[in-house]
Amino acid sequence: MDIALRGIALFGFIYLLTRVIGRRELSSLQPFDLILLIVLGDTIQQGLTQDDYSITGALIAVGTIASLQVLTSWGAFRFPRMRRVLEGHPIVLVEDGKVIEKNLRRERLTIDDLAEQARTNELASIADVQWAIFEPSGTISFIPKQ
Amino acid sequence: MPEIPDAIVLKRDRDLEGRQYDVWIRRGLMSLVAAVPVIALFNVFGQRPETHMLVGPAASLNIYAPDRLRGGLLFEGRFHITARQDIKDAYLVLGPGWAEGMSINTIEPSPVSEASNSGRLSLELGHIGAGKSFILFMQFQVNPTNIALGRKQTVWLNDGTDRLLTFSRDVTIFP
Repeated sequence: MDIALRGIALFGFIYLLTRVIGRRELSSLQPFDLILLIVLGDTIQQGLTQDDYSITGALIAVGTIASLQVLTSWGAFRFPRMRRVLEGHPIVLVEDGKVIEKNLRRERLTIDDLAEQARTNELASIADVQWAIFEPSGTISFIPKQ
Repeated sequence: MPEIPDAIVLKRDRDLEGRQYDVWIRRGLMSLVAAVPVIALFNVFGQRPETHMLVGPAASLNIYAPDRLRGGLLFEGRFHITARQDIKDAYLVLGPGWAEGMSINTIEPSPVSEASNSGRLSLELGHIGAGKSFILFMQFQVNPTNIALGRKQTVWLNDGTDRLLTFSRDVTIFP
């Protein structure tokens, strides 16, 4: 029972963390972020199973997290209001080649970040972008001008 | 007007109507997350040891042990007895709160004998001459499933059956 309760608490905390740290952090995976992810996983594991090395313990922990993941995704699918809380909505960053700075600031993104993402999408200039949309996953979708 | 991508609602996703406060909720929650390690710096979640000093006519007892712990932590309890008078047969008696859900890894120096005194751990330390000190080191580990809020940890110092000192403290163990 203890592992299941720990799993619920830690799942809730990690979910909260991924929602509040902002999409900017989610979208960029610099070497430091990668190391941080590994450290985070290791730290969570110790709090989750502690000194339990049993297969039963692992099954409980993985089962709890997997069930909660399915439950939250079902909740987001079934209830639109819940989706807003659990996943969020996209944010328009560029419309018709014009940057919406208010929305950039809100997500702690700079014009340089946007230009970098545009270049990785083979768009030389933001002026060539019809729509740039910051998706809930943390990626930026670019729709070029026709 | 260029075609709007599917599922994009300009009022909601560009003008952020109804979402003005979302960012403040996010910042508030992030502040709560960041507050946890800040609070931890003030020993709210342990494990900095506390010192408690008791002085009686026959002896003084200095207890050095953390009173806030977390599951799995290793910690030391140090009991420093100074005899002000000759103690013929010193007994350090620990309430059950000291052993409940704990692994006692070692007791140094080993007591002359260990026994149960009405459910308490009774450690016979032997003779302590007037003006002499006796330091008992106990190494503990909190069992990972052990959770406690204000559990009593009482300590008695006896000379044979005569009570010299009594001290009670509370321990909190976070999951």
